[in-house]
Amino acid sequence: MTRSNDLDLVAPDDVIENKMEETRNEKLETPTDTVKTVNLKEKIYEIVGHTKHSLSSILVNPDVFSFEEKDDEEEILLVARPHWFTNLSWMLISILMLIAPALLKFIPIINDIPTKYTSLGNLVWYLLSFAIIFENFLSWYFDVFIITDKRVIDIDFNNLLDKKFSEAKLSMIQDVTSRVSGLGQTMFNYGTIHIQTAAEVSYITFEKVPHPEKIIKILQLLREDKEIDKGGNN
Amino acid sequence: MLDDLGGLFHLLEKILGIAGSVVYLIFALVIVKQVNTMSKNVKDKFNGILITVSYLHLLGAIMLVFLALTIL
Repeated sequence: MTRSNDLDLVAPDDVIENKMEETRNEKLETPTDTVKTVNLKEKIYEIVGHTKHSLSSILVNPDVFSFEEKDDEEEILLVARPHWFTNLSWMLISILMLIAPALLKFIPIINDIPTKYTSLGNLVWYLLSFAIIFENFLSWYFDVFIITDKRVIDIDFNNLLDKKFSEAKLSMIQDVTSRVSGLGQTMFNYGTIHIQTAAEVSYITFEKVPHPEKIIKILQLLREDKEIDKGGNN
Repeated sequence: MLDDLGGLFHLLEKILGIAGSVVYLIFALVIVKQVNTMSKNVKDKFNGILITVSYLHLLGAIMLVFLALTIL
């Protein structure tokens, strides 16, 4: 079922009817492929539902999202980031860091330090706090797991200048397992998905993603779709 | 003697403060570079905001060097 344009104004990941029309016109040579992709998208919507914000941990059929290694014909079906709950520890530390200078005022010896030094110290402290918050946010925001109609991709930025890109074609996926362990993961329903592949990278791991059972269901759906394709071609 | 020590201490404090702020400025430049690289790799709606924020942070680091030079 395609959603109306009004709803698409607030849903960055929705299927937009006009865009679908454009896509259909562009790919006139393969109309069955387009119809199949639309069906796949609808099924994924049924499994995961619609996400309403670009900062969501799961984006379904995102319109604005892309990545450097993407093929022109490739369609992004799902993007997942670690669950928001995984950010809680650094968020609490950041709040403490931000209120720390205000608490220091209650220590008498601090009041004896000349204002020019305290203002410089405050600037250093707040810049450092900001840098810590920003780095943690970047680590979360750019740590993405992508499922396209052709492959699964894991993009990791481990530190300032270290990027890791792993991918496996859907047809290469052999086994998918998930693990939800611990109080936080059980309460907020997030966990780790291990994808065993026949590709050069033998394992792809989606860490701390929300609703692992739904992501597994989507992978199952895509794998079945690929198998039907193979069967049809034979 | 004590005046000499005080002067030396003040000079040391100034050198360390300026060196520290310059190191932070380099760190801020690395963050700008990092955000630009990440934004090229993964394109999303908020990339523009993140790039702007990284430049604001760089501005703060430049201000820190300036303050270290004038205050210390």
